[in-house]
Amino acid sequence: MIPRFHSILGRIAALHVLAFGAAAIAVLMATYVLLNSTAASFENQTLRAHADTIASYLSRGPDGRWTLNLPADLRTFYAHGFGGFAYAVIDANGRVISSSLRGQGAISREARDSGSAQYFSRTKGKASYTGASIPEHVGGATVRIEVAQDLEHPDVIFDDIVANFLRRVVWFTIPIMLLLLVADIVIVRRALRPVIEASDMARSIGPERMNLRLRSRNLPLEVRPLVDAFNAALDRLEQGFRQQREFTADAAHELRTPLTVLRTRLDTFPDKSAVRDLLRDIDAMSHVVNQLLDVAELEGVVVNPAETAELGTVCAEVAALVAPIAVGQGKEVALIQGQSPVRVRGNAAMLFQAVRNLVENAIEHTPVGTTVEIVVGEDGKVCVVDEGPGVPPDERDLIFRRFWRRDRTRTNGSGLGLSIVARIAEAHGGSIRVEYAPAGGAAFTLSLLPAINPSRL
Amino acid sequence: MARLLVVEDNKDLAELLAKGLQGAGFTVDSIATAADAEHVLATNRYALVVLDLGLPDGDGSMVLRALRTRQDSTPVLILTARGGIQDRVKGLGEGADDYLAKPFAFEELVARIHALLRRPGEILGRSFKVGNVTFDTVGRQVFVDDAPEMLSARELAVLELLMRRSGRVVPKAHVEDHLYGLSGEVRSNAVEVCVHRLRKQLADVGATIHIHTVRGVGYLISEERP
Repeated sequence: MIPRFHSILGRIAALHVLAFGAAAIAVLMATYVLLNSTAASFENQTLRAHADTIASYLSRGPDGRWTLNLPADLRTFYAHGFGGFAYAVIDANGRVISSSLRGQGAISREARDSGSAQYFSRTKGKASYTGASIPEHVGGATVRIEVAQDLEHPDVIFDDIVANFLRRVVWFTIPIMLLLLVADIVIVRRALRPVIEASDMARSIGPERMNLRLRSRNLPLEVRPLVDAFNAALDRLEQGFRQQREFTADAAHELRTPLTVLRTRLDTFPDKSAVRDLLRDIDAMSHVVNQLLDVAELEGVVVNPAETAELGTVCAEVAALVAPIAVGQGKEVALIQGQSPVRVRGNAAMLFQAVRNLVENAIEHTPVGTTVEIVVGEDGKVCVVDEGPGVPPDERDLIFRRFWRRDRTRTNGSGLGLSIVARIAEAHGGSIRVEYAPAGGAAFTLSLLPAINPSRL
Repeated sequence: MARLLVVEDNKDLAELLAKGLQGAGFTVDSIATAADAEHVLATNRYALVVLDLGLPDGDGSMVLRALRTRQDSTPVLILTARGGIQDRVKGLGEGADDYLAKPFAFEELVARIHALLRRPGEILGRSFKVGNVTFDTVGRQVFVDDAPEMLSARELAVLELLMRRSGRVVPKAHVEDHLYGLSGEVRSNAVEVCVHRLRKQLADVGATIHIHTVRGVGYLISEERP
């Protein structure tokens, strides 16, 4: 089974190791076979040379008796087993004419009938030897001369050469393979550096920096199609973003302009009392239009992660804006916050809108003569507490849905305000939840992420 | 009489604004395009410009930028129908003095214009009235139902500040600064004490205005509901 590598370098290195390993084994095996056969033929030639030498000292008397008349040095050579050599001369009847072995016996037990030279190797106990049985023609008759060499003898070096060669080649192969792997790493790293740079670039592209594109210069040809496709996708995305923004802005203009004309016409109408109800209707309609446009705007919004806002200031602005409305209804608004500023991650305008919707919702539900409290916590939480009926547990998820209203016969409000709060909380990586306040009213808590200390960025 | 330039491309709205603002005591010139606005502003002086951002031949903010580039500090009040949540703070950043989202209450527009012109008393004569309370800015005198009321200098200062911005919250820090400018030293609870006394005196003589405390934020004068 081939393991799956997630990195290109891993794949290349693994394939290289496999291919190199296979090649090395093949080369070693071929070398071994070649060396062995060369050594074997060299051994055979040596054995044959010994047989020929011995044959040259063999003579046959007129009575048919064989005489081996080795010179003194050769006799000593074979008698002491120099070079581990032994010989035996055998006549056509299988009788041993002469032998260097102590028992004057044959080296090979088998009868040799063949007219050609035969080579053999034997293992006898600890000793292993290689031998040849060579037919020699001397004085019109044929004898077999057996020559053997003890392979364990220190003078025998052929097999040692082969074995040593293989060991050394292995030690030689490993550094070459390591060198190859280092080369792989360098090549892949260098080839992929522009890809890593392109990745860094891609990471910095956000809704605020939609115009950025990845550079395809310097990139490896293999990666370029990916980058080109990515850039094309960004083009389409940017166009989509722009179209959505333009549509929302156009819709805002087309909806608000006639409302403004209508509102101003009524405002400048001489008889105020006649138009009071109409003005209230227009205000309600404007409210719904504004909230719908907020929903559309927030649909695709992404908060710049570097942006921060001071929650106390945001809440003070909301309180100042809505207090006259509350006072007009016989209700009050209070802001409670600590001494130190509370900096959170987020867009001040969006947070303003979220807190405003919460407070306006609270003012609507709190009875006349009571107070809506905006409590700014140092942990980046805003709690808006009213003294109304509160939200029963089974409605706590529903109220953040678009267009949800407990009482559908009521015409005030769009049922969008709290869904906008939920969307803004979500866009800020925060949350919104509602519980019963200790006194029984609703307590909405908007939790935001504390701003990261700039010194740690 | 203050002369205003209204830059608005919607014909109906331009006419209504001109009529309404004339009714509020202003002289009004109306212009429908950014190009005309730039031309007119280059050759005429206005007390204030009411500028719509969505114009047929370009963004109204271009007119504003051109004006500020020329070091012209004529107050500009921006009207916009396009603004989303995130645009609501942008207008002020680009050199506008105030910003009003459409649709707006006409009274609100007039109040904002008065505030920008920094002459609120002048337009309505030299005094202003909330409920049955009249503040005479020249004689520095307060009348409740035409009967003069004796108030200390501090109380007068606080009442004037709150009455000028009637219906809006005046931050407490702002009131403190105002008192500080008057006497040079303000104890930490001076504003509370002053407001408390004012409330009592106004209530004693049957004033129909009330000073509300917006806890943690500031004060707000409103007319009591009948």
